[in-house]
This record gives sequence, C-alpha cells and structure tokens, in this order.
Amino acid sequence: MSKELSTWLDKLLQELEGIEFRRKSARRLRVDVAPDALPALLELLRGRASYVHLSAISCVDWIEEGEFELVYHVWSYELQSLVSAHTRIPREPGRYISVYDIYPAAGFFERDIHEMFGVWFEGAPDMSKFILTEWDGPPPMRKEFDSEAWVNAHFDWQDYNPEWLQDLVAQGGGIAIPPDEQRFSRRNVDET
Amino acid sequence: MRPENYEAQRHPPSHEYELFIGPNHPGIEGNYAFKLRLHGDRVIEGKADAGYLHRGFEKLMEGRLWIQNLAITPRICVPDPVPMEVSYVLAVEDLCGLEVPLRAQWLRVMQLELSRIAAHLFTFGGHAATTGMYSTMYWGVADRDLVLDLFEELCGGRVYHIYNIPGGVRRDMPPGFTERVANTLDYLESRLPDYDNLLFTNQVFVQRARGIGPISRQQALEWGVTGPNLRATGLKFDVRRDDPYLVYDQIDFEIPTEEAGDALARALVRRSELKESIKIVRQVLERLPSIPGPIRCPIPNPLAWNVPAGSTYTRVESSKGELSWYVVSNGKERPYRTHVRGPSQMHAVQVLERLSVGCRIEDVAQIMFSLDACPPEVDR
Amino acid sequence: MSALDKIQVREERLPPSKGQAQAGKGTNPLANVFDELINFARSRSLFMLHYCTGCGAIELPPAMTSRFDMERLGVQPMVSPRQADILLVTGYVSVKTLKRVILTYEQMSAPKYVIGICSCTVNGGMYWQSYATAKKLNDYLPVDIYIAGCMPRPEAVIAGLRDLIENIKHGEANSWKDYYQRYDHYLGNQQRLFGEDWQTPTNVIGEARHYGLFGPETLGAHTALLEQYQRPLDALDMKIEIPELQRFQRP
Repeated sequence: MSKELSTWLDKLLQELEGIEFRRKSARRLRVDVAPDALPALLELLRGRASYVHLSAISCVDWIEEGEFELVYHVWSYELQSLVSAHTRIPREPGRYISVYDIYPAAGFFERDIHEMFGVWFEGAPDMSKFILTEWDGPPPMRKEFDSEAWVNAHFDWQDYNPEWLQDLVAQGGGIAIPPDEQRFSRRNVDET
Repeated sequence: MRPENYEAQRHPPSHEYELFIGPNHPGIEGNYAFKLRLHGDRVIEGKADAGYLHRGFEKLMEGRLWIQNLAITPRICVPDPVPMEVSYVLAVEDLCGLEVPLRAQWLRVMQLELSRIAAHLFTFGGHAATTGMYSTMYWGVADRDLVLDLFEELCGGRVYHIYNIPGGVRRDMPPGFTERVANTLDYLESRLPDYDNLLFTNQVFVQRARGIGPISRQQALEWGVTGPNLRATGLKFDVRRDDPYLVYDQIDFEIPTEEAGDALARALVRRSELKESIKIVRQVLERLPSIPGPIRCPIPNPLAWNVPAGSTYTRVESSKGELSWYVVSNGKERPYRTHVRGPSQMHAVQVLERLSVGCRIEDVAQIMFSLDACPPEVDR
Repeated sequence: MSALDKIQVREERLPPSKGQAQAGKGTNPLANVFDELINFARSRSLFMLHYCTGCGAIELPPAMTSRFDMERLGVQPMVSPRQADILLVTGYVSVKTLKRVILTYEQMSAPKYVIGICSCTVNGGMYWQSYATAKKLNDYLPVDIYIAGCMPRPEAVIAGLRDLIENIKHGEANSWKDYYQRYDHYLGNQQRLFGEDWQTPTNVIGEARHYGLFGPETLGAHTALLEQYQRPLDALDMKIEIPELQRFQRP
C-alpha cells in the first residue's frame, strides 16, 4: 500500500501547477513551491499522504538575490520518505505565514528563525525572544552581520606576553600582524 | 537591575507564585532555566528559558572551511557528540558524491553505538539522581568512563573525538583494540543485572517514575517527539531502521518499545537500547576482521576544497532522538548554510512545557531528565 | 644555544618564612600561626559551586565521582553560592550566562576563588569568532587559576585544583580582594558588554568598605553610572483582581 501511495504522490505533484519537484533519491524528494501555495501543500501532505512529522524548518539567506529561502522538511513514517518543500520569500518585509496549526512542532523553528533572521511568522503562537534574550544587535544569522567584526569591537583579547616572546621582540622579531588585524576567516573569501 | 528576563511574566493571583528554576541548579540538565508558576506544589504553567549556551554555531560554521568545521561539530551536543560529527560528514559526502569505503562505515557504526552506550549510562545516572538515588549516578559515570577510555585509545580524545572526516575515518583501530572493546562490553553487560537491582526494578524508583510525564502516541506524533521518547509510547520508529544510513541495514538489531509513555517507560527503553547497542557492537567486531581495505577514500586538498553546490538533509539517530542537518553549499570552500536540528529542540522546549503542567514540583526535574533534554542542542 | 637551554625550568615554590609579619598585622608572632592554620584548613575543605556553564561540565562528574575522586582532596560540590568557596566556570560563558555568573559570584561570601576551566575562558577558545560568548573571563571577574584544555581531562582539573590549594595555603589566592579594590575596572567591562544600566543586587562598594578593601580604584567613572541608573529593588506589585475588593484597591 505504501508503494501505491508514493507513486500517487509523485503523479499528483506532477499535475499540480506551480510546483517543481525533483526526486533526489529513494527517500528524498525536493519540491519547490510558490510561497502562497506552501501551507496548502503541507496540509495536503499531512492530511492525505501521511507526512505527519515535521523534521525541521530551515531558513537560508540568499543575500544577493534578496530572498529568504524557507525549507520545510517533512517525514512520513509510513512511506519512509522525506519531502523538503522549498519556498522563497522576499527579504525586505520578511513575513510569512505560520504553519503552527498544521504542525505544532513548527512553533520552535519559527521562533528560532524569527530571532536569528528577523522573519515574522503571522499566526505563530509565540514570537518572543528565546535564545537571544540579552542581544540587542541585528538578527545575527543574516549574511550582512559580520560576527568577527562584532567580536573585535566588543571584546578584548587576553594579554599574552610570555618571556619567550619578549626575547624575540628584543632580538628584533615579534608578531607581524597584531591580533586585531588578523581576520582569519574573511581574508580570502572574496578572492576565491 | 536584574537581567532582562528576570521580569515576572505577569502579576499572579495571590495563591500562585512564580519560581525560577534557574541555570545554576542541580535539577536542570546542563545550563538551562525553567520558569514555573505554581499553585502550592502543583505546576500550573512552565516556560522554558534557553539561550545560556548559545554560541552562534551556524554562523561560526559559515566562516570556516569544510574541514575546519569538523573540530567544532562535536561540541554541539556535549554528552553524545559522535552523531553530530557523523551526520555532518554524511552531509558533506552526499554533496560531493564521495564513496566511503566499507571498513570506514563499519568503524563509524561502532563509534556511534559506543557513544550511544556512554550517553545512556550517563542518562541513567541523571534520571536516577532526580529521584534522589545518587549511587546510580556514580555507577553510570564510572561505567561510562570505561567507554571513554576506549575512545581515547581509538581517537585520542575522551569526549570530543573528531574521528570522522569526509571520506572515512582518521585512523584504523590499534592492535588489540577488538579484545579490549569485547572485554568492556562483557563487563557492561554483566553490570546490567546490578543496574536492574539498583534502579530499574527497585520499587523506590519505579513508584517515583511511574505515571510521570505521560505522552500518548497522538501527542508524541503531534509534538514532534523522536527517539527513545517516541519508542516509549509504543511506536517502533527508529531512523536506523526507517532511513538507514551507513551499514545499519546489514546489522541485526531489535527496536525496543514500551507502552506506557511515562518516565519509567522511557528509562526502560533506554536500558533495552543499551543492550541492543552492545549487541550491535559485537556484530561489528565480528565483521571487521573480514573487511580489509582503506579507511578513507581520496579527497581533494581539504584546505582548498570547493564542495559542489547543492543542498542535502541527513538524518541520524542519536541517543536522544532524530538528529538532522540541512547543509547548503554554493560551490565555495566554506558552507553557505548549515542548520542543525537537534532532538532536544522539541523535547526540552515544547514537550517539557506541556508535560510539566499538572505535575508536582518535585517531578519537574525528573521529567526533564527522563526526556533526555540536552540544552546545548537547543541553543547551538 | 640549543633549544633545550631556553626551556624555563619551573622553580620549586618556597614557602614564606614563619617569622615575617604580614602587613598591617602588628608584631604579634602568634597572629601568623592562626593565619597559616586557617589558610591550611581552608585549602583542605573547599566547597565547589559547580555552575556548569558550558561544555567542560561533562568532565566534572568523572572528576567528582569515584574514579578520579576530587573529594579526597577535600573538594566537594555544593549547590548554593552562599555556601560555596570556589566558582568553577566550566567552559565558555555566553553573554546571557555571564550575567548570571557575575550575580552568582557576587552572592558568594569572601574569600572566594574562581577557576576558569577550558580554553574558552582564557582567550575565547574555539568560539573566538562568536558574537555570543565572552572571550576573556578575567575582564569581568578576577580569576585565580585557568585550566587550559578542550576539554581538560579530570586529572588536569584535579591538578589545577591542587595548584589552587597550594596557593590558598600560602595565602596567595587573593583575587577576590582585587574585585573590591578595582571594582570600577570590572564594572566598566561589564557595562561595556551589558549596557550602561547594568546593576546587580549586591552592594559591592559597601562590601568593599566592610572588608577594608576600599581603595582608590574602587570608585570611578563607571560606578558613577550606577548611581545614575539606580532603580530600587522593591517587591513586585501584586494586584488583586477580585471585583468585590476592587473598591479597596489603591488608586
């Protein structure tokens, strides 16, 4: 019976308009939908196709394209397959509808995405700060937020001046680039 | 001024009071807080307060090379770090299309199951300690140390191993390792009757744990409960069986379930899983001598490695539940986005809040430990 | 010179000689005996507040339990900060935890000792790029001993504790005094991280006066901000929402 259900699902998804789907492997299916069709698709998957488990909601910040990509991963215990529903919302208002009524587990993920990316989910039960309660900067997971620059601005490093280093400095050597100017992670990111 | 979220949630009527079970508390696993509203001894409402362990992992990983991320992935889940590493490495291999040699896959299974054994021993101790039985904690930590000794011999680190790299594992087993693992497993299996006498069939514990925090099957599926907590409600769902990864489809193991869905059932499921993990490691040790070969496949220079663009979602069964990673690459040498979904993100937050309503205050800690809620996974 | 000659040899620590009088103690030779006895006793019965702030906490149970057994050194876990001597900051401190760590530290009664376990407390450790963790613990609290590692083995934790015990025995673990003597410096760093209106319920300046450690650096520009933003810590306003009693409520 499960095999019929999965072929039925494939056929149905092919017939629906506005959905692009690609089967990546036996248990992974990728679906791209328009943002206004996504909650209906999730309700269909949950109600008719036994995808009762919401595994995660991920958000990817495509800053060059000015969009957030929201990915809803739903798993079916009966069909033993995962459907990842991708949708893109514009970055600027960053608002989307909550799927808490379909999947109660979404409450955590939506709250988390709201804190980290600044996306507002309408209809979510609780959008208050959770992990970043004592944070007053911009949403940190956005690509324009530079974590290292923030660290260099707000924190100090340990003074480390052991004798061997003092000896080296006395002989004319020493640290070539002081710690404040060493930006290890960002040095080559534009050159590759 | 107190820290911001010390403010009371609202002004309660005079027969209720608010209690902050704050981060520095022996009844809280790790660094986590829980705000309760109580009516006498009964909890009316609970609000979980996370964020004490937040490090911004996902941001950190975007700034490091693919191979550098291996050093920090185990640190996301502190008691059970191996599934984190393995799922990250599986994701990278999926993106690159790497073929992992068979011997490495079996070694990974051994590592995962040994880590599951260690994590469950720790959890027995934690759960028992919330009911006041501290001897189990001492036993659990001491027995877990034997497993950590094995890890130290294999990988060099007791807690954080960094044993897996994309394409395989870092080094092969040292000579004589198989005997030492077998001895440790024999010892652990001989200890199980002692644990039963002390904990699982001990009426003090059974009376305390029975009926605490019951979850029904419907609720479990709705709230996104996974792992031993789900199996304690009677549903035989396990990622190793439903969504097999590595060589789990070639290994013979049972999936233990219980019916009651309360704290006692969850403890019993973990005990049965410990036995099953011992069985799995024995099978691995039996098969390993007949699988010679390389332990890693060739990968390009990891310091200048552009992983092909794409996205992947890997799921792994950690000792706490379903652990998954969503990794996106845009063809560069650093990940574009890595999203970790730890099982405790469901358990420690929504499930804990819902289960604590109506219970007595002395059971709140027990509910948290019986759900095996791991705060570092929630906060990342 | 070969590389071997440049390696520093750790000198054996010589105990201070018994005849020296400590500053401000007068010339009574018996005063020292009590001090040394008290230091010795204090070093051998330490209560450790195990505030598991981060990853390093997972190696504390092995250190406390039977295998590595910290208790034979006299170090015992304690739940409440009011009765603890050592604050073990095990692992990285996120900004949110750091506020609670400072509150906990100020609740402990003197003399108190802070041990920073794991490299994250030393210089940021593995999370040096993270916006959410504090990099240098001794900016915000005076730290007695750092135990480096990621994470340090239980034997390393015990070795660090033994160093602390030696320091206490010789009367050298006095960093708690530094908090009172240079409160302005610590408060400045705390305010830089948490905002200008950061306050704790503890009256540190009053305590500094009480312990006789009020110095020229206790007050400064940052403590002046304390007075500016001070809010009295009064009890929460309870509102009774019973309609019959509404007429008795205060307007």
